Amino acid sequence: MNPHRRHPFIRVATFLVYFFLYAPIIILVLYSFNASRTNVLFEGFIPSFGPLQTDGSLVTQSPCGPFHWFCELSRNQEVGLAARNTLTIAFVSTLISTVIGTMAALAIQRYNFRLKSFSQLSLYIPIVIPEIVMGIGILTLFSQLFGIINGALGLAGDARLSLGLGTVIVSHIAFSVPFVTLVVQARLAGFDKSFEEAAMDLGANELVTFWRVTLPMILPGVLSGGLLAFTLSLDDFVITFFTTGPGATTLPIYVYGLLRRIITPQVNALSTVWILIVLSVVILLQRLQSREAK
Amino acid sequence: MLKRLRENKSAQGTLLVTPTLIWMIGLLIIPLILTAVISFGTRNADGGVIYGFSLHNYARLIGFTNDCPDGQASCFDSLYANILWRSLTLAFNTTILVILLAYPLAYYVARAQPKRRNTLLMLVLVPLWTNFVIRVYAWMMLLREQGVINSVLGWIASRFGIPFSPLQMLYTPGAVLVGMVYEFLPFMILPIFTSLEKIENALYEAAADLGANPFRTFLRVTLPLSMPGVVAGTILVFIPVMGTFIVSDILGGRQVILVGNLIQRQFLDARDPTFGSAASLILMIMTLIVTYFYTRKFGFGEEIIAV
Amino acid sequence: MSKKMLFQLLALLAVFSLVLTACGGGGTKVAPTEAGPKVTSSGFTCPEPQYPMEVTSKEINIFVWTEYIPADAIECFELVYGVKVNRDEYSANEEMYAKLKAGGASYDLVQPTDYIVSLMIRENLLQELDHSKLPVLDTFDPNYLNFSFDPGNKYTIPYQAGTDAIVYNSDKVTAPTSWADLWKPEYAGRMVFLDDSRAVIGLTLLTLGYDVNTKDAAQLDEAKAKLKELTDNNAIKLFDSDSPKTALIAGDVDLGMTWTGEAFLAQQENPAIKYVYPAEGAILWQDNYAIPAGAPHLDAAYAWLNYTMQGNLFWLMLRDFPYSNPSKAALEYAKANQPDIYNAYFNSPITNMPSEAIAAGHRIDDVGEALPLYDQIWTEIKGQ
Repeated sequence: MNPHRRHPFIRVATFLVYFFLYAPIIILVLYSFNASRTNVLFEGFIPSFGPLQTDGSLVTQSPCGPFHWFCELSRNQEVGLAARNTLTIAFVSTLISTVIGTMAALAIQRYNFRLKSFSQLSLYIPIVIPEIVMGIGILTLFSQLFGIINGALGLAGDARLSLGLGTVIVSHIAFSVPFVTLVVQARLAGFDKSFEEAAMDLGANELVTFWRVTLPMILPGVLSGGLLAFTLSLDDFVITFFTTGPGATTLPIYVYGLLRRIITPQVNALSTVWILIVLSVVILLQRLQSREAK
Repeated sequence: MLKRLRENKSAQGTLLVTPTLIWMIGLLIIPLILTAVISFGTRNADGGVIYGFSLHNYARLIGFTNDCPDGQASCFDSLYANILWRSLTLAFNTTILVILLAYPLAYYVARAQPKRRNTLLMLVLVPLWTNFVIRVYAWMMLLREQGVINSVLGWIASRFGIPFSPLQMLYTPGAVLVGMVYEFLPFMILPIFTSLEKIENALYEAAADLGANPFRTFLRVTLPLSMPGVVAGTILVFIPVMGTFIVSDILGGRQVILVGNLIQRQFLDARDPTFGSAASLILMIMTLIVTYFYTRKFGFGEEIIAV
Repeated sequence: MSKKMLFQLLALLAVFSLVLTACGGGGTKVAPTEAGPKVTSSGFTCPEPQYPMEVTSKEINIFVWTEYIPADAIECFELVYGVKVNRDEYSANEEMYAKLKAGGASYDLVQPTDYIVSLMIRENLLQELDHSKLPVLDTFDPNYLNFSFDPGNKYTIPYQAGTDAIVYNSDKVTAPTSWADLWKPEYAGRMVFLDDSRAVIGLTLLTLGYDVNTKDAAQLDEAKAKLKELTDNNAIKLFDSDSPKTALIAGDVDLGMTWTGEAFLAQQENPAIKYVYPAEGAILWQDNYAIPAGAPHLDAAYAWLNYTMQGNLFWLMLRDFPYSNPSKAALEYAKANQPDIYNAYFNSPITNMPSEAIAAGHRIDDVGEALPLYDQIWTEIKGQ
């Protein structure tokens, strides 16, 4: 029995830290019901349902009542587009970076080849490079590259290569891969090779061994890496800003732009919706876990 | 040919790593080389680059400038050195505070029942999945003069009849520190948790059996075994803090200039990519040096990343 | 985390994302140009184009300031011409410039402010406008045309204009009348300034009697010393170029400097907030439309300019984003059909700049090789 866990200091400290983590979130959610359009101070909930009425900067009545800003949000076309872009980019870049990152981890952990040290070193660069340097560097690279290709192939108009969803995805892969590789590498480090050897002894070739033995055993690491890549991609701002193009705006860029100009509670409503989605995923997961345990 | 591939282990390795290498070389190494080349150039009148080899950008960063009072030829101006130093101390302070806050929580979760452990962990991750900028903005609402904290304090003071004037919390370096700690706290909790979780109950029991009190157990057993987590967390916190500009912009009223702000300004407002590139390289070198010495002493902590 | 849990988490994330994507709908429905009036989702009836143009492009890519074009105007363009509008936004000219300069992006329209136009022209980032395709220009007030940053409007046409001047809360402070007044000790710690190195150093130069676009290092040194008097005493509580009115309305500050739109909106919020043109002269600025070199959908760009800036649509700016409007037709339309909105615009010296204020005003222009000097001063005064 471990007496430490019950130590009151730890419990109090833990509670306080959780409170610290969630106080701003609670405020965010509260303000998404703010009656004041300028959203500087909390002026209470919108009191009544009905046709839209305002009194200065206060909304005194709305067809959606206190949920006015959520209704405004649902009519906001740009948010929908930004959300779709963000998710598309996150999924595609996560998929690709997880695959090639795992491959790279296998290579580094298990093989010796000429470029090994170079590969290892280069994987640490995204971790120490300032995002803005990476962003501008990549932008310059794409611009020069596209300029040359467009000129050489004589592309014009809509056929021209230019910044857009594709360039953002490619950039996201660049900063995700090192994290995937690191995580999978760590998992591989403590790996017991005897299972693989047994499989090979039983006649399986490399590919089958990998698929049926190795992969399932490193899967938690791979999935962890994938989750990390997904999280990084979802919230990226700086690099995305420099590599995006028309019609490829993502949520972080849209939100940042909005926050810099008009700060209405609509932004809060967006965060609230986002938090609700994430929380539902978590709760559903818990239900599934406990159902399985029975 | 496939047979030859099978036999040649080295070629297999190279093949596996090639896609990643393409990405790293193409999108990181080449832009980095470009940055380095530009940093040795000079700025032309319109903000473009005149390629050449000159160390004047680096000299300016360290403090030697030609723009001197009293018409001296060159003199020492610690402006940029101050900024670098300020960023270092902020990163350092943030890391220390984050460790102090993260450790108890990580400990509690690590020693919790397995069923509750996952929920508690997820609760730590949820804020991370909201938008970074919105979280900073939420702190504005808390810290401003008529914000939530001052309103609550004022209400308490009025109940006790104590005179109260609102605290000036927003637009101060303190606000920037709070914002940084808040943003990066989860990145320390997770690694410390992972390393603490690996400590088996048997170790605690053994220590107790040998007569150690809780405090001693912590010092001699828990703390050393959790160091890999602390190290990994430090790297995940220290480095980004050095380069962030959004938090100091929003919470510092744009009066707190860190290296991240400096670099961003050079590329955008000042249109001086040569100076910005030099500052970026210096930032990266500083980060590398700190990381190197830190990991020499404490190890890299890769073990804790294993799931 | 267990393997199962990770799997389930990813699976659920996938499901949720698919649901979101499916529910999102597919952007605005671009209706074919059928007969009958087009109505936007907010109930606004779209006018017919006064200068109809042939458009074969299916899309247009605009790179514009955040929150600067009425939503109704965008929707009307899509409905009337059947062209999909792809909008990217920026919050600072420098961001837009950096993107365009690096190349690679294919935008059809941008909205540069005056001081960056001459630089963009020199860097060959803009293409010359074909005035024969811009009949809407004839409806503009000539006072907004033919400035020194683009003589003959070869590359730009005006969008909105405004000023940077002094704003104050008349309930809390006595009225300042000049930039120099801001140095008074009674205002210390209660001011918001724009986070704009050129504007702030510029106004300091004005208090010393120098030109806002000076390249003289000695003059700039004097300005630096003068500015330091403010920053060393923490007289400026915060710098904000995103939404300075917020600090004013929240009571974090009582006065400062800001621009037209912010002052107007702050005044709507709290009538005690007033805007005053300082004695030394306010800073004038103008945002313009320009077409980047290599724009892929030129026909759509010209159609956009002619349609969204025609009088019976451009007046929406008076309703949504209060700045000085360069279109005579828009003002006339508002006067005849929306008298309340027009009167609010006309009677406010904020939007309807008095001619003395314009005459005394100063325009910021690019300073070329002297820019790092300004930036150095800026970094110094901020990095206390």
